[in-house]
This record gives sequence, C-alpha cells and structure tokens, in this order.
Amino acid sequence: MSSSSGQSSGYDLSFKILLIGDSGVGKSSLLVSFISSSVEDLSPTIGVDFKIKTLTVGGKRLKLTIWDTAGQERFRTLNSSYYRKAQGIILVYDVTRRETFTNLSEVWSKEVELYSTNQDCVKILVGNKVDRDTERAVSREEGLALAKDLGCLLLECSAKTRENVEQCFEELALKIMEAPSLLEEGSTAVKRSVLKPKQESQASQNGGCCS
Amino acid sequence: MEEEQQTFVSKARTAFHSAAAKAERVLLDFKSDREDHDKQSSPNTFTGQQPEAESPHTDENDSKLHSESKHIKWRPPHLGIKQDWQDKIKNIRRGRKEVEDTDKVGDASMAIPFYDDNLYLLNVKNDLEAKASEAMPSVEGLTAATKDPIPPSSVLKQLAIAVEAGSKAKSMKDVIASPGGSSPARERAGLSLSAVKALVLREKEDKLTSEFTSNEKVVQLINSLFDPEGDFLRRKIDSNLEETAMTSLPRDIHGAPPESLVVKLAEILGNYKTLRKMALFWCRVVAELRKLWFEEQYLPGVPQDEIPDLKSCLLYQQFQVINCCISRKRFRIIATESLDSMMMQANSDIKESTDCSAEASASPVLYARLNSGELVLRLGADHPAGDMTLLETGEPVYSPITQEGPLLTEDLIRETEEFVLRTGSVGAGCSQLLSDMQAFKAANPGCILEDFVRWHSPPDWTDNEASTEDSDVFDSGEPLSARGQLSRRMQKEGNLWRELWETSKPVPAVKQAPLFDEDLAVEGILNAFEEMHPSDLFGQLFVSLLGLGFGIAEPMLSGNSDFSKLFYDCKEYIITACQNNKLNEKVDGLVQVYETVEKMLLNPEEALKMIKQTEESTTVTGEPRSPFKRLSLIFGGKDKLLRKSVSKDQTNDEEKSGRQSFSSFFDSKSSLFGKKPPKSGSPSPSEKSSIDTGWPVV
Repeated sequence: MSSSSGQSSGYDLSFKILLIGDSGVGKSSLLVSFISSSVEDLSPTIGVDFKIKTLTVGGKRLKLTIWDTAGQERFRTLNSSYYRKAQGIILVYDVTRRETFTNLSEVWSKEVELYSTNQDCVKILVGNKVDRDTERAVSREEGLALAKDLGCLLLECSAKTRENVEQCFEELALKIMEAPSLLEEGSTAVKRSVLKPKQESQASQNGGCCS
Repeated sequence: MEEEQQTFVSKARTAFHSAAAKAERVLLDFKSDREDHDKQSSPNTFTGQQPEAESPHTDENDSKLHSESKHIKWRPPHLGIKQDWQDKIKNIRRGRKEVEDTDKVGDASMAIPFYDDNLYLLNVKNDLEAKASEAMPSVEGLTAATKDPIPPSSVLKQLAIAVEAGSKAKSMKDVIASPGGSSPARERAGLSLSAVKALVLREKEDKLTSEFTSNEKVVQLINSLFDPEGDFLRRKIDSNLEETAMTSLPRDIHGAPPESLVVKLAEILGNYKTLRKMALFWCRVVAELRKLWFEEQYLPGVPQDEIPDLKSCLLYQQFQVINCCISRKRFRIIATESLDSMMMQANSDIKESTDCSAEASASPVLYARLNSGELVLRLGADHPAGDMTLLETGEPVYSPITQEGPLLTEDLIRETEEFVLRTGSVGAGCSQLLSDMQAFKAANPGCILEDFVRWHSPPDWTDNEASTEDSDVFDSGEPLSARGQLSRRMQKEGNLWRELWETSKPVPAVKQAPLFDEDLAVEGILNAFEEMHPSDLFGQLFVSLLGLGFGIAEPMLSGNSDFSKLFYDCKEYIITACQNNKLNEKVDGLVQVYETVEKMLLNPEEALKMIKQTEESTTVTGEPRSPFKRLSLIFGGKDKLLRKSVSKDQTNDEEKSGRQSFSSFFDSKSSLFGKKPPKSGSPSPSEKSSIDTGWPVV
C-alpha cells in the first residue's frame, strides 16, 4: 500500500484534508480505498495517520495531504491539533449504525467549531457502507437534512465497493478551490514546500515504532 | 508659523482641560517639530547652531527644575520657538494633569530621529541628576488612565513604533544593548559616533539596567500586574454587551481576551517611552513568570486549566500552557499522595488480618478478586465504568486515572505535524494507547484485552445476544466466545493493539513515565520568551490592545446612528488587516483607524464634522464608497506589488517605510494616501480630494 507522492514542483496547489468521525465507521478504509483501491480490513487507527495523493481537478494538479484520525474518545484531545489550518474536513458516519450519525451533530461538528482555525474550511458529510443496504439505519433524506444544517455537501459511499469514493475527494477539492482564501493558502503551501527540498513525505505503516 | 502658534496658545487658554486640546497640542507639536527639522536640514546650520542653542536651553531647564520642587521629564529643545517652550513651563505649573500632557508630547517628539543623539546624552545626564523623579509609567498613572473609555491611542502608537523598530533589531537583547535603538536609520548614518558612545557609556548602561529593574515604580507595576486579587487596569465594560461580540473580535484578529494578562501587559508596555525600557520591562516580566512557575502559582488573567486556544495569539496560548501545567502538577501530587496512602493502608490491613472480613472494613482501599480467589489491590482506579464487569472474573470494571495528552501551542503543532509527515511516526498515539492499557491493567486485575477494548473502543466489541438474554449462561462458566467477540478488524493478525496489550505492564498513570513533561514544556516557553523577537512580542501586544479598544467601543457606538456605520467600517478594516501576515506594514494604518474610533468617543462633534465632509465629497464624486474600503484597496494593492517585486526591491521598500514612519506620522499618512492602487488606476481629482478630507488635520 504505497502512496504516490508528488514532486514538490509537480503540482499547483497543496491542501490539508482531515477525516473525522466515530471509531469503526470506515475512515481509514475510505482513505486506503481512495489511495490504492485496497478493500481489506484495517486495524483500528492508533492516534493519527496520513496519506498523500496527487490528482488533477479542474485543470489543476493538486497535492492532498489527508489526515486520518482515530475516532475513539480517548484520542480526541490528541487529534485536536490536526484541525489547525485544514482546508477540508470530511465527517464520516456508518449508515448501518445510527449512533455514528447522531454523534456527527452532537460531538464532531462541535469539535470542528472548537478546534478549526480556518473559518472558510469546506466540510463534507460522508455516509459509508452503503453496500450493506439491507442493514441501513440512516436514510439518505436524513443525511441530506444534516448536511443542510451543517452547511455542507452529502455523499453516500462504500469503501468496499469504491462507490463514490473518488467523487468524495474530488468534490471536496473543487469546493476548496472555489474559496479564494483557501486557494491562496494552497498556493502558499506549495511555494513554502519548494524551499524545503530535503523534506520528503512518505506514507506511514501502522507498524511504525513507538516513541 | 506665528499664526499657528497663536492658534495653539489661544486654544490652550480656553479649553486646556479637554481631550481635544490635548490632541490638538500633540498634533501641532508634530507639525512644529517637522518644520524645525526642515529648517535644520543644512549641515552648516546644524553644526553652527547646535552649541549655542543647546547651552541656554540646558541652563534654563536646570534652572526651572531647581526652582520648582517638581521635576519634569527632559524634552528636546524646540529651536526658534522660545515662546512655545515658555508656555509649556507655565502649563506645568498649573497642576498634575499638565504633566500627562507633557508625557504625551514627549511621546510624540521621541519619534523624531533628528534629536536622538542629544536626547540620549541629555537623557543620561537627566537620569543621573534626577533618577527617582523620572516620569516613568506608574501604577497610579495607569490606574488613572483607565477612566478613559478605551486605552489612549498614544499607548497603541508607542507599540506601533516598537513593532516597526523591533523588526530591524536582531533580538530583544540587541534592543537592550543598543543606546539609540529607537532610531535605526539614524544609527546607520552615525556608526562611528555610536561606537564611541557605546565605549564611553558602557558602564553607565549596566548601571542603568540594574537601576531600572529595581526601580520602585517598576516593582509596583510588576506586583499589580501579577496580583491575582487586584483589579488593576480593569475598565468598565458594558454589562449589556453580547457575549459573542466581545469574545469574537479578539479571536478574529488573533489577539487576546479582554482583561487578560496579555492585554494588561500591552497597556503597560505601551506607556514606556523607549524601546529599550519596553524590552527591560519585558525581561522583568519573564523573570516574574519564572518565579511563579517555580512557586507553582497561577498566572492571573489566564484560565487555569484550558488547553491552548489556537485562535488567540501565541503569547496567550503560551500563558495558558503555563497555567495548565501548574494544574497538572498539582493534580499529580494529589493523585500520587492518594495512591501512596492507599498502599500504606493496604499494607497495614494485611498485617492486621488476612480474613475475608477485612475487605468490608477497608472501604477506601479497592480490591479485585481473581478467579483463584486471591484479592489484588486496584491501583489508580477512578470510578466504575458504568455497569461493565470483567469477562473472566465478573468483577466490576473501573475506569483508570489516565494521563492527559500534550499541550500544544500553534508553533508546536506545526512542528509536530511536520515531524509526522517527515517520519511517518504514529508515536504519540501508540504512547497514549500503551499508557491507557497499563493504567487499565493496574485498575482492573484479571482483565483481558477484550475488557480493555470494551472500555476504550466500544464499537469494536459485539455482545452476544444469547448471553444477554440467558443469565444462566454466565453462571455456567461458558467459554468467552459465547458472551461476545471483538470486531473483525481487531481480531486481525498483526493487529498492533494486541501487541501493545501483551507488552503493557500494570502501572498506574501517576507512576508511569510522563507522556507530556510539564517542566520541559514550560522551560521551553520561558526560554522562547527570553529569545522572542521584539517585533513578534510587540506585534501580538499591539493586536491585543487594539482588540480591547474596539471591544469596549462597540456597545457605545453601535447604537449611535451617526457613528455606527463608520465604526463597523473601522472594525471590518482591522479584522482584514490583522488576518494578514504582514502586520509591520499595517500598524500605521491601524493606529489611524483606532484614533478615529477614539475621536468618535471623546470628541464626537469633531468626528461628526469629519464624517459629513467625507459624505459630501463622496456624494460629489458620485461614488459612495467608504474611506476604509479604499484603505483596504490600497493595502491590497501594496501587498500585490510586494509579492511581484524582487527581494531587493522589498528591502528598499522596507527601508523607505521605516524611514517614513519615523520621520513623521503625517508623512506616513500622506504616503498612505499617495500610493495608487494598481488595479483601479489613478483616482480622479475629486476622489483624491475626498481621500484627503477623510483624514483632516485638526
């Protein structure tokens, strides 16, 4: 599961994306599915992980640094620092578990409000595991209503079947590019990274050594 | 010139008590001083007149000082305006308020580099003659100033000077060591003279530094600033104020909450007359912070147990970390003592009796019974975890006391993120998970990984419905799988959770190696304070004080039909300007905007006149636009110009900007309006006229 890392001079914009939501909703699976098409079971994330992907959206070459956070309550404070300066935030719930949907408005949207330092950041609501339609506990209409309340888009996906997975990230990137202040930040980040040629980004393995 | 002087004298006589008169005198002195400076532009004239003029004024100054029991702060002589000087002496005799006027006038005059050499030499002389009487900020003076509705613009102006001057210095220590720190341009021109002065006055400088630190007024200011019970520098803030309005502005501009330690510090520092004294006071503050940390005393005006607020300025975040670390140290002491006393009691219980009945009498000591019947002490147990019971032993599950995560300010967050990106490390998460496992094991003897997962990550456990329905299943001691199972992802081979679980030992949180070392963190912050770049410090203080003034003014002006629109234009301007990263280029504009708000509060008639003039001009041009929208355009254009230009041009621009701001605030203002926004082309004559009238010179 190696991630493709773009050359620092090979892209036009660089954005930071954050994945949040309850534990077990499939955040890591969504990310891995987007990066490498893998659909295997993943161990629970410990703390935080990240992947880097380059893609072309709207004629621009983008570098997305996507931070994947552990959803357990004990990791919440530890991960609060990664909200800083994120241009895009993906709030994920599991359509087969209503509690994960309820917690988006009761817990996670409050975390965003508390820790995000970017007033213009773009949010997107993602309902995962739609391949298990017979077990669905949250309807699409309910998802749309919450998305409206939070002022963001809704996409229903399946990390397993890869349905809507790429659309999710591309749609988010397009929305980010529509915001002038975020576009400026993305451009600035590219210029700054050019000045640090020694900095090499790499995907991490869950087996990384403990400090 | 004579006419202006007459106007000045006339106004002083008729309304010397009013704020307007004070403002007018300050502004007029700006103008007078600039004209004097122009007259002295010829080198021959300068060298020719200097010895003559200096001597009589000095004598006069000494004579006045001696004849009056009061002492006045030395000010540069106004060559050719003897009458003006004598008028000031008269005003000083009238009472204490005039001394405040003098301070403000001196404040303004200090911005003129022409007098720096004389200022320094005579200042040293004056210090030697009357150190104790020098007009430095005092608790009484600052307390009196809080009667003004918002902090005086002169205080903000001094911070603006410090931001600009500080950006040329290498470090705070350079500022303290530099004899003429407030005039870098001048210093550059007179390197040899500066070197000579440094040699001659080195000993005196050291003496002055130590005298500053032990000065009575400085000590009192420090004590008042750090008095947790005091109401030093507290202003009347409208009780009907909407909570969101008052708290949102400081965060929008990345400042600090009103009446916080940062804001009070800003107000004190802005009252010092030289950059050097500001730097010395800051070092004194850092020394006090070290003392409080050593004594484990909270900083006043900062929350005691909140994680850093990333929307406030870095200085405020760092103060929050210091207080939070004090709270954590106190808690750890209590928790450690509690654990130790429990263990001592457990030992004494064992000695007394090994009977089962001892369990009932030892209520503060918690035990868990293993399957073998053995009682094991629970260590670091906090509270029962709902109605959960351990799968193998049936004992209640206790949530352990756990370690808290790191306290990260915005700079450390950036470093952490870069570290994770560079190395791929998930160390922080693993460390915390391992710490939680060890604490859980210590609090729940006989537990297994499944118990921990049920507590830490409930979604990864699925209860067996059969076992829930049939209570007999538990009694019969059926195998584990009958009661539930881990999620598929948790059962997966190579799962790091299981590896960590098998590695972990039962160790209560307070006995573990700390995940976050408070001593190390605070030491890092205090070192950063000592090494802080002057422009970083004064920039944050400037923004914080700006936020306080606007926050207090808002409820007073928002309901005023004449001023509310202009006020909100001003507010929008400062929010936009402060969210940009190049504060140094904007401080002059921000001071002018602040002065406008101050005028609306203190001199509403004058402000109303200004607004009407602006409106009339705008109407004539047929383009009703706010003057501050135009300001934003100008600054926006300037930023773009800077972005496009080569680095050398940038350096030149910075030098020009510095020179202009120190030669005269008026020059800075005129240059502000003189620069054309590149996109909108040249403004029409009538537009230009409206711009000029937007900032009338009183």
